[in-house]
Amino acid sequence: MSGIALIPAPCNLLTASSSSSSKFQKTITTKTRVSLNNAISISSDPFVLELAEALEDSVPTPQPLHNLREASSESLLSSSWPSRRDEPFRFTDLSFLRSSQILPAPIPAPTPTITPFSTSQFPCHVSIVDGHFVSSLSEISEFPDGVYVGSLSNLNSNLNSIVAERVLELVCGLENGDLFWSINGMGAPDLTVVYVPEGCRLQTPVHLGYFSSQGSKDGSNALYLSNPRVLVVVEKGGEVDIVEEFSNDEENENECYWTNAALEVVIGEGGKVRHSYIQTQSPLAAHIKWTSVRQESSSTYELTEVSTGGKLGRHNLHIKQLGPETVTELSTLHLSVGNQTQDLHSSLVFDHPRGYSRQLHKCIVTHSQGQAVFDGNVKVNRYAQQTDAGQLTRSLLLEPRATVNVKPNLQIIADDVKCSHGAAISDLEQSQLLYFQARGIDSETARRVLIFAFGGEVIDKFPYSSIRDKVRSQIKSLLDPSSK
Amino acid sequence: MAISSSSSSSSSLSLSLPFQFRFSLKTQTRRNFPCVTAVAAASGEVPLLQVNDLRAKIVESNLEILKGVNLTVNRGEVHAIMGKNGSGKSTFAKVLVGHPDYEVTGGSVVFKGENLLEMEPEERALEGLFMSFQSPVAIPGVSNDQFLAMAYNARRKKLGLPELGPLECFSYLMEKLQLVNMKVDFLNRNVNEGFSGGERKRNEILQLAVLGADLAILDEIDSGLDVDALRDVASAVNKILTPENSLLMITHYRRILDLLKPSHVHVMDNGKIARTGDLSMVDAIEADGYEPVSALL
Ligand SMILES: Nc1ncnc2c1ncn2[C@@H]1O[C@H](COP(=O)(O)OP(=O)(O)OP(=O)(O)O)[C@@H](O)[C@H]1O
Ligand SMILES: [Mg+2]
Repeated sequence: MSGIALIPAPCNLLTASSSSSSKFQKTITTKTRVSLNNAISISSDPFVLELAEALEDSVPTPQPLHNLREASSESLLSSSWPSRRDEPFRFTDLSFLRSSQILPAPIPAPTPTITPFSTSQFPCHVSIVDGHFVSSLSEISEFPDGVYVGSLSNLNSNLNSIVAERVLELVCGLENGDLFWSINGMGAPDLTVVYVPEGCRLQTPVHLGYFSSQGSKDGSNALYLSNPRVLVVVEKGGEVDIVEEFSNDEENENECYWTNAALEVVIGEGGKVRHSYIQTQSPLAAHIKWTSVRQESSSTYELTEVSTGGKLGRHNLHIKQLGPETVTELSTLHLSVGNQTQDLHSSLVFDHPRGYSRQLHKCIVTHSQGQAVFDGNVKVNRYAQQTDAGQLTRSLLLEPRATVNVKPNLQIIADDVKCSHGAAISDLEQSQLLYFQARGIDSETARRVLIFAFGGEVIDKFPYSSIRDKVRSQIKSLLDPSSK
Repeated sequence: MAISSSSSSSSSLSLSLPFQFRFSLKTQTRRNFPCVTAVAAASGEVPLLQVNDLRAKIVESNLEILKGVNLTVNRGEVHAIMGKNGSGKSTFAKVLVGHPDYEVTGGSVVFKGENLLEMEPEERALEGLFMSFQSPVAIPGVSNDQFLAMAYNARRKKLGLPELGPLECFSYLMEKLQLVNMKVDFLNRNVNEGFSGGERKRNEILQLAVLGADLAILDEIDSGLDVDALRDVASAVNKILTPENSLLMITHYRRILDLLKPSHVHVMDNGKIARTGDLSMVDAIEADGYEPVSALL
């Protein structure tokens, strides 16, 4: 293993698109450290000020989250609303949020009228409605001693003070966050906590079901905003599977709302988290999600994501390897079947020797006004020798005007690393289509099967068959609405 | 549609006529295709496949590859096409199944009395034309049994039979697996993905066994097969063959010819059938190469 190996995958460019762009950027830079000016400059953006004010008045500050709120409010007040001139939002249009009247979602009734999850085959199930942990809709199975799943406020009243202290010490990272991270920090009404003590391997997954009960009809200018926030802490040698499901209540299938969620994951030495994330929110919703992961040495983090919902879906995925021999595997699938944008901005930072990562990102755009955006940054810093990092992104554009903007980028400072990346954008393979037809299968069916198989590579990585089956049938009906 | 026929005479044949009317079409066929008449009159029947002066070019480069192919295959006959590398054998086979890389620029192809060139590739397959690819493509994410079940059910639908459920389908596939001497786990694997050269060929024959065909075109089914595999494949093909269906194989080697015993051997050269004879012609080719054989034209 020596030197830098860059192996770009074959790039079958743009059969389907004239307006799409594909861009490679391979940067090898020297590390620069920007020192932040401590003085707070108040934003002059009236939209942000108004939003901050609305959030301020929305929910009473939960005492343990006071510091988070303060810090978030400070950073929010000094930010302005991102424009297309800001690199992270160059291809992502936020104007429909900006033109709406943002209303923080009110506190839901103690027993909200939500059609309960069909996926309650998981014995441990947490319902988060409009950002609030709802115990009447949750079922917490018997866990070994020291495990905690529930809201931070309940944790405090339980006098589980050691865990509470540990949690508070970990919450609040503002590093690398953007405006939406701050909005969540300011607006989160509570914190849902999953705590796994040292050496404890949970056998059952923790299922987090997120709902938005407040929505407005299409055409209305009002947009209800909720800020669910979850912290997962796995101590040394512990293991847990997390299943996050953002879905649509059948009652408000076609409503507008804005879910601005944040998940923080902290994995101790040798620990392991398998994270499944499924996003099927309303086609008129905005779904902005932060996933921030900190991994101690020899820990493993595996993410499998399938996002199909929302008019705007944006996933900010930030992972820091904080010790040597750390493993990160990311597999994500984004599907745009309508006038919608699916956006993944990922950043993976290696700071220690012998780190390992595999990232596979796939997008399918089947609509002329559909769009997929991918910005995947992998940074291999000076001490991260013998890093083995691989990134691959593949996009299928199935309509003449469908768009994808991909920007895989590697920044390598260490000199003894093995890194590869590749990006391919294509229509379906003619030779594969013909193979089906030559066996009597019509081209429409063949296309559907091939598109499905393209996504299948990611779907197959979900660790539970119930999730795989559910996601498969959901994608099938999105690709072929007539089969419903 | 990428394949289009420039031959206007053939376009008068209607594809949508129900089966019963096909024979009453004969007179019309004769009028449009004088060459058909001669052969058909001799055997008292319309040939299974009638290719007349077929010309085709590569869509991308406009390069003409087929430069006037003539070929007649009757029901129950076994034909072989040989010829130098690059002479156009695979192109001919691929044009027959409707490969979008090629465009027909002239001539006609009549299959079971109908204009083949006006059909979509899947219609050709359902009509009973099967081609095993020289290099079958891999289809990641689609399992072999899923693929075979889809193809078989499409065929049953065409025949007016009810589709088979997964269980019935499985037992049918098992039967065919035995015919080609393949292990069950091939059903769970993705179509051709990670298959060895020989396994891909066997898999093509499995598809033929499952789907059946009036005319099976086997493009170098023998290349890359070990001795045992070749015997398996040949015996499977012999079992599939009946007096009603025909075989057109493309090959470079004598061994498969001895196993499948073609009645007609053609030599293709530079996009044309340069010569037609019987098995004895193969001896001359093996002894002296293609040059003298083609030159006899
Ligand atoms: N899709 C294509 N694109 C470019 N060239 C092609 C294409 N298809 C065929 N050709 C060219 O046409 C010629 C005939 O090719 P073909 O595959 O039909 O030969 P063949 O007789 O089957 O040869 P072999 O015995 O080697 O299989 C070759 O020169 C080949 O390179
Ligand atoms: Mg060939």
